[in-house]
This record gives sequence, C-alpha cells and structure tokens, in this order.
Amino acid sequence: MATQGSQFDFAPGFENTRLRIAWYAFISLLLAGGAYATYLRLTQGMASTNLTSIVPWGAWVAFYIYFVGLSAGAFLVSTLANVFEIGEMHRIDRDALFAAIISMAVALLFVWIDLGRMDRMYFPFIWRQLTSALSWEVHAYVAYIGILVTELYFSMRIDLARLANRLDGVRGKLYGLLALGRLDTGDPSQAFDQRWLKRVGIVGIPLAIFMVHGGTGVLFAVSKARPYWNSGLFPVIFIISALLSGTALVMVLYVLRTRLFDGESVDLDLLEQLAQLLMGFIIIDAALTAVEALIAFSSVHPHEVDTWLVVMFGEMSWSFWWFMIGFSWVFPMVMLTRRSWRRTPWVMVVAGLTAVIGIVAVRFNIVIPAQIIPVMEGLPHGSYFPTPVEWGTSIGIVGVGLLLYTVGAEVLPLTPFSEGDHE
Amino acid sequence: MSSSDDDTLPGIPNVGKADLDTMVENERPDPREELADVEADTDLGVAMAEDAQRVARGELSGDDYWDRYDEAAADEFGEAYHETPNPAVDAGDQTISTETAESLSCAVGSMDTVSTEPAQVEGDDSGNGIGTGDQKWGMVIDLQKCVGCDSCTVACKSENRTPPGVSYNVVMEEEHGEFPNVTRTNVPRPCMQCDNPPCVQVCPVSATYKMDDGVVNIDYDRCIGCRYCIIACPYGARYFDFGENYDDEVDEAGELTSPEYGVDRGTREDGKSPIGNVRKCSFCTHRLERGEEPACVETCIGDARNMGDLDDPDSEVAQMADSSRAFQLKEAEGTDPNVYYLK
Repeated sequence: MATQGSQFDFAPGFENTRLRIAWYAFISLLLAGGAYATYLRLTQGMASTNLTSIVPWGAWVAFYIYFVGLSAGAFLVSTLANVFEIGEMHRIDRDALFAAIISMAVALLFVWIDLGRMDRMYFPFIWRQLTSALSWEVHAYVAYIGILVTELYFSMRIDLARLANRLDGVRGKLYGLLALGRLDTGDPSQAFDQRWLKRVGIVGIPLAIFMVHGGTGVLFAVSKARPYWNSGLFPVIFIISALLSGTALVMVLYVLRTRLFDGESVDLDLLEQLAQLLMGFIIIDAALTAVEALIAFSSVHPHEVDTWLVVMFGEMSWSFWWFMIGFSWVFPMVMLTRRSWRRTPWVMVVAGLTAVIGIVAVRFNIVIPAQIIPVMEGLPHGSYFPTPVEWGTSIGIVGVGLLLYTVGAEVLPLTPFSEGDHE
Repeated sequence: MSSSDDDTLPGIPNVGKADLDTMVENERPDPREELADVEADTDLGVAMAEDAQRVARGELSGDDYWDRYDEAAADEFGEAYHETPNPAVDAGDQTISTETAESLSCAVGSMDTVSTEPAQVEGDDSGNGIGTGDQKWGMVIDLQKCVGCDSCTVACKSENRTPPGVSYNVVMEEEHGEFPNVTRTNVPRPCMQCDNPPCVQVCPVSATYKMDDGVVNIDYDRCIGCRYCIIACPYGARYFDFGENYDDEVDEAGELTSPEYGVDRGTREDGKSPIGNVRKCSFCTHRLERGEEPACVETCIGDARNMGDLDDPDSEVAQMADSSRAFQLKEAEGTDPNVYYLK
C-alpha cells in the first residue's frame, strides 16, 4: 500500500471486485434468512423456540457466551502489542480490537433476542442487584466496549489523521471526524497516543479477564443448583477457551485480510508466533477441561457424573467428540505440529477456522448439558435442540457481525501505514 | 299448637302461620326505639320506612316515593347522601323511571357500577401493602398423609389460572427398591419460599424479592425474562410463561386471570405480562391477604398440607416444623426453605 508520495491512494477494501460482490451476496443471504427468522421470533414470542422451563437457556445463550469469549480473546491478543509491546504483533492489533468490538456487539444482540421481554432490555441499567453476576456483567460489558473503542481510537488515530490530511472531500472529513479532530501527525501526538493506548490497555486486561469473560464464567459457576457448572475452575476454563478462540480468529483475520484486502504477503514470523500461541492455549484448555472432568468423576456426585455422561455419551455426544475435542483441539493441534505448516498461511487459516467453529461446540456443551439432568429426582428430564427460528436468527446475527466487520475493514485503516508506527 | 295439619312428621314441630306471624311480631324491633339511637331524624325515618313498605305492596310507585323524599333525605344526610348510590337506580333492574332517576340528588351511579370499582384502601401507605404482614408464612406437608392424588396441582392451576407448561405445584413421585420391597413416596413441590433464595440472588433487575411475610414475590412489571432465576432454583420451582393458552380446550380461557401478588392484570394478552416473564407459586398471596389458605392447602383431600405462621411458636405449623419428623428439601444447599415436610 502506498503511504508516501503525492499520488495518494487509500483503498483498504477487497482487491478482487468479483470476490467483494460474492461476499456481500453471501452476507445478504444470511441477513435475509435472519430477518425472516427474527420476524417469526418477534411475532410468535418465545414459543418459537424449543426452550422449556426445564431447559430455559439454549442456542442464543451459547452463542452469547461464545462471542463474549471471542471478543475477550481477541482483545487480549491485541494487548500483546499495546501493553506488552511485542513488536511484530503491532501488525494485527487493530484487527484484533475491531474484531473484539464487533464480537461484543454480536454477543449483546444474542442477549437481547433471548430476553422474554425484549422491550425491557434497558431495565438492568435502571434496577440492579448487587448479588447478581448478571447485573455486574451488563455493566462490565458496557465499560469493556468503551475500553475497546478507546483502544482502537488511540491505535488508529495517527493513520486517520494522515488520511484526513491527505484526502479531500467527504472521505477526508469522515476520517477527520473519526480522529475526533486531532489531526496532528507529529511525533509528540503519536507518543501521546501510545501512552494512552498502553494505559487504557492495562485497565482493559483485568476487566476483560476477570469481569467480562471470567465474570461470564462466574455467572454459571455460582449456580449451585447445577453442580456441573458449580466449580472454581470453571471461569478459568472460560478464559482459556476464550483466548483459544480469540487467537484463532485473529490469525484467520490476519491472513485473509492481508491477502484479500491488502494484496500483500503474510509475515510468516508473525504467523508462526500466533500459531505457537494458539498451540499453547489448546494445550492449557484441553488440560484444564480434563482436570475438571476428573474432579467431577472423582466426586462421584450423582448429578455431576450424570451430566458428564450426558456430555460424553448422550444424544448430543457427537458435538463433544467431533466439535469440542476434534475441531477445537485435535484437528488444529495436528495442523500446528509442524513448523513448515505453521508457516503456510492457508493451513493456518484452516486450523484457525476449525478452532473458531469448535469453540462454538464448547459453549453449547457448557450451556445445555447442565439442564438435561433434572435438579431433583422426580422432575422431568430436559431435552433440547434449537428450532429453525433459533438457528435462523443466530445466522442472521452472525451475518450482522460479518457485515459490520467487512464494512469497517473496507473503510478503516486497520493495517498500520508504516512499520514502526508503535515504536 | 294447631292441629289443622294431619300429616305431621315425627320430630318436626307443627307450627301454624298465625304462630309464625306472632313470633316475627315479637322479634320485630320498635322502629322509634331503634331510630332514637341514630342522629338522623326519627320521624323522617319512620315515614320513609312505612312508605317503602307501601311501595313493596304496590300501593305507591317508586317515582312518587322518591319525589316525596329525595329532597328531605338530601337535607338530612347532606354529603353522605350525594355519595351513596341509590338502590332504586340500577342499570339492569331499575325500579323507577329515567326522569326520576336523573332528578335524584345522589349522583354516584348505580349500585352495580359502584360495587365493581376497586376498593379505596384507607391510608394506602407502605405499611398496608401486599406481603407486609408480621407473620412468616410457612407450609408443612405431611408425606404420610399425601396419597399422590395431584388435586393440589389441579387446584393450583385453577386458582392461579396458569397456562400450559406452567404448574406452580407438582407432585414428584419417587419409587425406590426392587419388587417386592418397593416404596413409593409422593413429594408435593410448591415454591419453597426460601429464606436464602438463590433466585433472588441472581435476578439482575431485582424483579424477584422476599416480602416481609417471607413469600418470594415476582414483579411482572420489572422482570425482563432472562430466566437466570430458573437456572438458579435448586427445586425447579420456576416456570417461564411462553404465552401458550388453553384456548383449544376452553373457550376464552384467558378471560379470567388470578390477581397474583394482589395485582389484577385483566385478560391474558400477547405481549402483556406475565407472558414473557418467569412465574412461580406465591403461596396464593392474594388468598392469604384476605384470610384464606392457599388453594392447595384448602383442597388437599388427606389434610396433608398445613399453612400458618412459623414465627408464632404456638402455631400448628411451627410445632410441626419443629418435630423430629420434619425436614426440608435439599437442606445442604443452605437455602432454608419455608416449606417443611414430615417423614
């Protein structure tokens, strides 16, 4: 990309016009299906789902915690550059931050559509409950989104200012507006941005770990009525699997955007760093999950053991073996084992995508199985598979996320203009 | 004793009409004596009463009666007369002409309309609301008396008008052992109204809370329908209202609703609470407030269910809850239910 010279051109979007059309057509399809499903959801109410009073939480909750995890993971990867100052990572910090913002928006859409009274979604900001993890979470999400937007602003401001100075007309004005009028591109202004990028990032790390995603884990872990969730290790696994999916997502986005949008070659050293990071998270995630299962089985607590048996051998055990074990751990791990594969972009895209999809199954296997075994002997067993309306709305909401990300990636300078921007 | 009736039944006193009239006359109070005790004019009272009897016998028309007395009564009773509905004025069964009804000084409407208006609670301050009683409501269920007939479940559904899929009370049937040594226990399960309710703990908007009388309330106007409380309840006692109805079984099933937690919400309609909210047993708070037992307690055929004040050491429930037979469900959870069972 040309960053110098009088003939300034800034076109961060798709390199290939036909690919752009195909991609937007695909997103339109998702949105159209999602819109129809959402129409059914709104007119038929919660009766359009397969949820019951025995299994009151389903696909929407699973997707909600999935996207919160994706966001927290992506944000933490961005702090490798912005707080821990690992040089090569600067290339991907805006990608990571922007993906984290979009994931949060998607997560909140899932929370919203899941409410029995969608019209009352602002109530948690009017009435609170100090002992409720969910009440705290709602506020943590808002603070976290504020942190993410601030981070992206300080990370990108210098390039927005450069664009505002060099481009005329509406585009120049738009970038000036996004830079909030701070159009100085001198070294002191850049140093100011770097300082605040680091400070806000330092605040963001504990917020993301303990409040946003750890807190979402706590939301489940405090439920003593469900022994499967009721463990201290549970929120920790939440965070690790979030890091797993977040790293995988950032790796996929880095490769795809570099190749398809920037038309450049992938920095193989950076790719290998991300791949090693992913490998580490897969090992920790699998190990901690094994520990959790071991504790459950050793306890011989009937409810806990029964729930694990449902996970491993129940009706939906295919999602555990194929997607949780296979897609999020084994398949990517195999692809990550050889150094030459770790330096092959398309292999890493496949490995990243399988992990990103596999963690969806991890989230489903958190939410659903704990509701299958009844809380008391004599009450009915639960059974749940999402309805087409639940799938449709979920696909539509993911489509909204893809659209927002693509439009942003086509407009914003997500790739730093020059090496050493952050030095 | 008259002997005019031949077919006298054994054991039944044979009383003639004249005797009865005498008895009534002996019992009838003297009008002047009675009216002397009240502040109002005795002469006017006696005159109105005598003419009212004439109206009843058809010797005087209702219109003439009110033409004669409306003004005098208004003068005598003043403001109170203007605020009291006139019994002769009634939309369905009016005994006077429209002109006369309109000319009357009392203008509050018919008895019918006044009686269906919500009662005005005197000094309606916080000390008088629902659930503010001094007692701590508790229920004791004697499992030895429970036969598992499920009539509590049925009475509950009919009292609280709960929709399909919502059943505040269920009877859990547990079978243990192998033939021939099999035992079967029926455990009715209402809401435990825990002293440490996990549902209250997790509600993000404080829509569910404990009232002073120990009952856990749900504010349908605040509940956002996130269902976290259903997840948190160790007793599976909470239900989500998916908006289903018994319209296929009963015509206009949603016309009548129960004034749960003392709030009359009118007919059941889509998009209107409690549809989209979480629901549960309220110990029939609306019945307790008017001095009645919960529907399940009242209906129990074996008298297995008992309701009372656990804070009153002399009450039956407090004594039963203290007995060596008493236990609570999932005591290890630390929820301290206010529903006790007797082994």
